[in-house]
Amino acid sequence: MKFWMRLLCVIALAALLAPEARAADDQPWTLDANNWQEGKDILPDPVVKHLQKGEYWFKVVPVDPAKFHQNYSKAFWDATEANGGKYDLDEKTCGLKDKATGKIPDFVFGQPFPQIDKNDPKAGCKIAWNFRMTGAMGGGGGATFTLNGVDSGGQFRRIKAFIHSRGYQGRHFGPLKDNPENLAGEGIGGALEPVDVEGVSTLTKRYWNWDGQDALWAYVPSTRRARRVNAASRSDPVAGLDIFADDLDCYAGKVEYYQWKLVGEKTILAPLLQPYPFHMKSVSATRQMIDTPYMTAGYEKPGSKGAPWWIQENLVFVPRQVWVVEGQSTDPYYNFGKVIMYFDKEMYRIYWKLVHNRAGEYFYTAMCGYHFVKNDDTFSAVFPNLVVGVNDKTNRAAIGGRYQSSFLEQNWDPSYFSLRTLTHMTD
Amino acid sequence: MTALTGRATAVLLGVLTVLVAYLWIVELRPRQREPVAAPAEPALLTVPLDAVARIDLEEGGRVLTALRTADRWTDGTGRPWRDDTIADLVGTLGSLRPVMIVDEAPHEPAEYGLGPGASRLAVAMASGRSALVLELGDRNPASTGIYARRDGRPEVLLLGGILTWELDKLRSADPAH
Repeated sequence: MKFWMRLLCVIALAALLAPEARAADDQPWTLDANNWQEGKDILPDPVVKHLQKGEYWFKVVPVDPAKFHQNYSKAFWDATEANGGKYDLDEKTCGLKDKATGKIPDFVFGQPFPQIDKNDPKAGCKIAWNFRMTGAMGGGGGATFTLNGVDSGGQFRRIKAFIHSRGYQGRHFGPLKDNPENLAGEGIGGALEPVDVEGVSTLTKRYWNWDGQDALWAYVPSTRRARRVNAASRSDPVAGLDIFADDLDCYAGKVEYYQWKLVGEKTILAPLLQPYPFHMKSVSATRQMIDTPYMTAGYEKPGSKGAPWWIQENLVFVPRQVWVVEGQSTDPYYNFGKVIMYFDKEMYRIYWKLVHNRAGEYFYTAMCGYHFVKNDDTFSAVFPNLVVGVNDKTNRAAIGGRYQSSFLEQNWDPSYFSLRTLTHMTD
Repeated sequence: MTALTGRATAVLLGVLTVLVAYLWIVELRPRQREPVAAPAEPALLTVPLDAVARIDLEEGGRVLTALRTADRWTDGTGRPWRDDTIADLVGTLGSLRPVMIVDEAPHEPAEYGLGPGASRLAVAMASGRSALVLELGDRNPASTGIYARRDGRPEVLLLGGILTWELDKLRSADPAH
């Protein structure tokens, strides 16, 4: 009897001492330096290193797969299913092709390739197209966000900026009536703070074609001129920070700019503001607002542990099945070499990307977080709300996003996305 | 003022020509040249990529082998390698240049994960001639690359991390699995 009593005591003690040991596979648990080995197969290698050193930790929240699937509207999933067999790819450019016409489709809604065959040599490009069209479902909107440069001493630069966008492809409720420039989408963004960059703005127009380059204009208030910028500049650091324009949505370029190759599949931890959708409130017939909590980082929280750029609050990690895809730009002026990306097999978001420079040296990881928005089965959207870009070569990071308020807009003024708006931003 | 004789004029013209030639050859012409790039370190693999016929990755007592047959890559028992995993590795070796020489003559190679017990990547051609032998060590502290030694030479190189990625792909594509 004494033996059993002792055994029970030992078991009870062990249970008390075990740091948030996993009770079951569907219960939240914490992955940190104490159990870092459990993260070896569910995080990219450079991230595991930070985990092992106690710089990062992860609140892992398993989800109900069926409920998670419903983060996107029924309309979206129905369209995805109906897209089966409709589309192919242009051999030369990896552009999306309507099988019926052999040309670029007029309008696409839903994922164009509901089934991915991992032995298909074009699988990587098809995955990229599913990603692109999934991200486009919201149709357009905007947010005011910050870019924070952070090193081991804390924040060294902060930029407040905004972005507004309109999508012509992939949106719920069908195509817009007027699209005279044949665009896939367009966006305008600008810096609001600090004073030295205030008013610096960009206008981007992405054409709905296979081989056209994005048109990019940058406006600098001191010169009062908008000048055309090469699209390859998306691999340049933004404002000297360890973050790149192509980090928006984890990959912001045209699908056709990269050569894509599916190289594997695995489970990975997906960073999300919360696993299930936020609700939106209508403020006009065409505009809906979404309030989201702020993701505090270590440098903002006195006495916090870990890397100063690590998110401390309002971020969870959901284990997800992903495709592992390599992407490489065909543009000789693009700074990145091979980029490795982890795409959700169902929701088609990129959660992590590892970047090598052109010399083959790994130098940068971007962690890309999202949140979902949905009110009913007719409409949903997925927002990129966080990029933590970490330059492991310089041990510096930049955090982008973390907005607390964003909006969806279905009916922008037709003349808003123009050079006139760009050059009058600071009037 | 005395007028210059024809001989003196010729002498002055000669001196002027020499000065102009000096200015052109020594002072001006070098500035007009294109900047000469420092000779780049050659890529790890200097033979034509399609000449590679065998790859062996030896680590922890286990050897992964890839042999080029007429139209595909197989392992030592004839099982095919998946897709273009081997082509990716060979392509990387054919373009990757050492980032830097970390240590010309290491006293303790084990500090870099090198020496007895280190992994070894051997690349050979159809004739059996070795094209490359890499001894592979640890990743550097920032994880941007991997330490290695080439062809039995003592110096420790830092190679870009893309090589570790390609080797990971090779391991996970092992036809035996």
